[in-house]
Amino acid sequence: MNNDIMSIVFANDSDSKLNELTLHRTTASLPFCGRYRFIDFTLSNLVNSNITTIGIVTKVNYSSLMDHIRMGRDWDLNRKNSGIAIFPPYVSNTATSNYKGKISALHSLLHYLIQGKEEYVLLTNSDVALNIDYEEVYNSHIKSRADITMVTHMSKPTGNTRVIVEAKSSRQVEKLRIKNTPSDDIAEIGLNIYLIKKDLLIKLIESAHELGYLDFERHILQLGLGQLNIVAYKHNGYSAIIDDVNTYYVESMRMLQTNVRNDLFYRAGKIYTKTKDSVPTIYRENSTVKNSLIADGCDINGTVENSILFRGVVVEEGAVIRNSIVMENGIIMRYSNLSYAITDKDVKVTENRKICGYDTYPVVIAKGKEV
Amino acid sequence: MLHNDKECVAMLLAGGQGARLGVLTKDTAKPAVPFGGKYRIIDFPLSNCINSGIDTIGVLTQYQPFDLNQYIGNGQPWDLDRLNGGVFVLPPYVKGKHGEWYKGTANAIYQNIAFIDKFMPQYVLILSGDHIYKMDYAKMLDAHKTRHADCTIAVIDVPKDEASRFGIMNTNEDGSVYEFEEKPKNPKSTNASMGVYIFTWDKLKNYLINDENSVGSHNDFGKNIIPSMLNAGEKLYAYEFEGYWKDVGTISSLWEANMDLLTTDSGLVLDDEKWKIYSRSTAEPPHYTGDNAVISNSLITEGCTINGVIKRSIISPSVTIGEGALIEGSTIMPGAIIQEGAEVKYSIIGAGAIVGAGAKVGDIQTEAVDGEWQITVVGADAIIQPNTVVPVNAMIDGEGN
Repeated sequence: MNNDIMSIVFANDSDSKLNELTLHRTTASLPFCGRYRFIDFTLSNLVNSNITTIGIVTKVNYSSLMDHIRMGRDWDLNRKNSGIAIFPPYVSNTATSNYKGKISALHSLLHYLIQGKEEYVLLTNSDVALNIDYEEVYNSHIKSRADITMVTHMSKPTGNTRVIVEAKSSRQVEKLRIKNTPSDDIAEIGLNIYLIKKDLLIKLIESAHELGYLDFERHILQLGLGQLNIVAYKHNGYSAIIDDVNTYYVESMRMLQTNVRNDLFYRAGKIYTKTKDSVPTIYRENSTVKNSLIADGCDINGTVENSILFRGVVVEEGAVIRNSIVMENGIIMRYSNLSYAITDKDVKVTENRKICGYDTYPVVIAKGKEV
Repeated sequence: MLHNDKECVAMLLAGGQGARLGVLTKDTAKPAVPFGGKYRIIDFPLSNCINSGIDTIGVLTQYQPFDLNQYIGNGQPWDLDRLNGGVFVLPPYVKGKHGEWYKGTANAIYQNIAFIDKFMPQYVLILSGDHIYKMDYAKMLDAHKTRHADCTIAVIDVPKDEASRFGIMNTNEDGSVYEFEEKPKNPKSTNASMGVYIFTWDKLKNYLINDENSVGSHNDFGKNIIPSMLNAGEKLYAYEFEGYWKDVGTISSLWEANMDLLTTDSGLVLDDEKWKIYSRSTAEPPHYTGDNAVISNSLITEGCTINGVIKRSIISPSVTIGEGALIEGSTIMPGAIIQEGAEVKYSIIGAGAIVGAGAKVGDIQTEAVDGEWQITVVGADAIIQPNTVVPVNAMIDGEGN
């Protein structure tokens, strides 16, 4: 069934804190869980919820994203009507701040918004891993007569910017605090996913832009609390904002838990990604694999424990990989040893090398490097 | 119409019942039978076509076609969703007042003369849907053109003691065929026909029409078309193919071909960037290997959960292997569940089948007489109750359980 929602996806949001991992790519194209990119969760959720008019806003390093998405065929988004539109950099000046982006980005997309025949807009970042049915968010939006519905989850604030939500029992938001101090107390945190009527969004963006406002969360949500009915929709399944290396590592490792993985990959629909036609993975005579996720196309003749191997990884005889993430086409040669490491795409670890990080500080080996 | 012309159109014969595969083809056509973990048999000829530059393929179906039709879809996984050309599923249909099933391989092509003529090809490539091999048809077409042949038949050298199981092409020194013998008792040569033919279309069309009009014909390429072309003195050549090729029309050979993926000396290598075998993806996360899993010499695909012991086996997508289960020398098709402590040896477990906890299916074979392995087969969606024993060579139907 068709619905009346279009989507704007922000591809670069927290790039700076992912360091080497987003040196050459957008957060949206950051690889996750063996064969996915972050944008796969966003696009699959949208498609599974019948939202097929999708504009993706990019800022820097977007070639890997374009290469991943192509015409959107892998998500069934190569449509005659609707489908994917990618908007290359909207920053015409030297502005680099993340928050400089969102309001001016939307302002530069006004024509795209106006052109769309849909009545509602779903705004989302692409550093979120979750499996959500947006039709339920829409139903809640209508039922609660909200001006803006914001999707939230319960988690501990990290040191990165988080929107802490305080809501009445009716779920109407009373207070929004924007924090970047870590805490051990679980709080309701915004996932940077918003549903809003298109006409209202256009009005809000135009007036914020005229006043020189930059920050969607501060200048539209926080300032708007008195006048707008902002409602929090709490997602109860697995969800994570992944905007630094440590969270990336911790959330990747959580995928080894079958219930967490099942929630992310099957809760409201399947997660699609670009197909690569890899062959099945071969386990050879000397392989020992425990508690690990292994994508297709791997060739394993060594030891792999508590780890995630992406597509096409080679683990030679005697190599030992523990508590690590090896991205696509990594080659771990004979008798080398990886512990608490994240190796990016196309990394080669030569014979007898030892790479060792710590559980709270995994070592990252940048794309294409040879150790 | 000039722009729509194709030099060569491929016609893939996928209509056979595949009776020798028993319960595996009860609800599915033979070409749609899973193979090698993430593939179906038809992925091989379709991938060979696109890798050879042939982008117009008619797939002739008439037996249990739904699974196959759905699998082929618009042909996108093989890059066959084309504006001009692509893949077409061709079931028999009513023409004017008459309509009939495909009576034989030649009749199936005869009934689709109009389809082929739409592309005005000079050549037609005839393929089967039950062979596992990687072959560059473009090279075979070059040989056909160079020799100005009317028909070129791909042949493979088979061991002398096996030759009597094949259609044998007896050739002159220049490769021209002087005699075709179907399963000869005393074979004169070891050139077995692979069921891959290239015909010059105008020539073939005449023979198809004549064959259709001849009373008592089996309307079959091997039995009728090839012999009558030989009798008439047409130019038939053998094209020698070197490489892996296997007819997977029997349980034993299907099992063998799966096992061939696990030995490097079999010649069947799928990890080949230059000649990829494409298949429809199932969109599953990576497979999970648990703490108590022990896996050696096996292929495992995405979406699986493995907690048991696996030796020399092929595990298709979304299969679950419970704690303490043992899988040896077997191929497990998509979505099957092998529960705790079950043992599956030298077996083929159909898609969606469940082998209950502690059940024992099949047993180890040390040798095969006449190439016939005693393989145990559990059909799609069959349920084997816990702690039961399924004997060697048994075939369990999915129905009635």
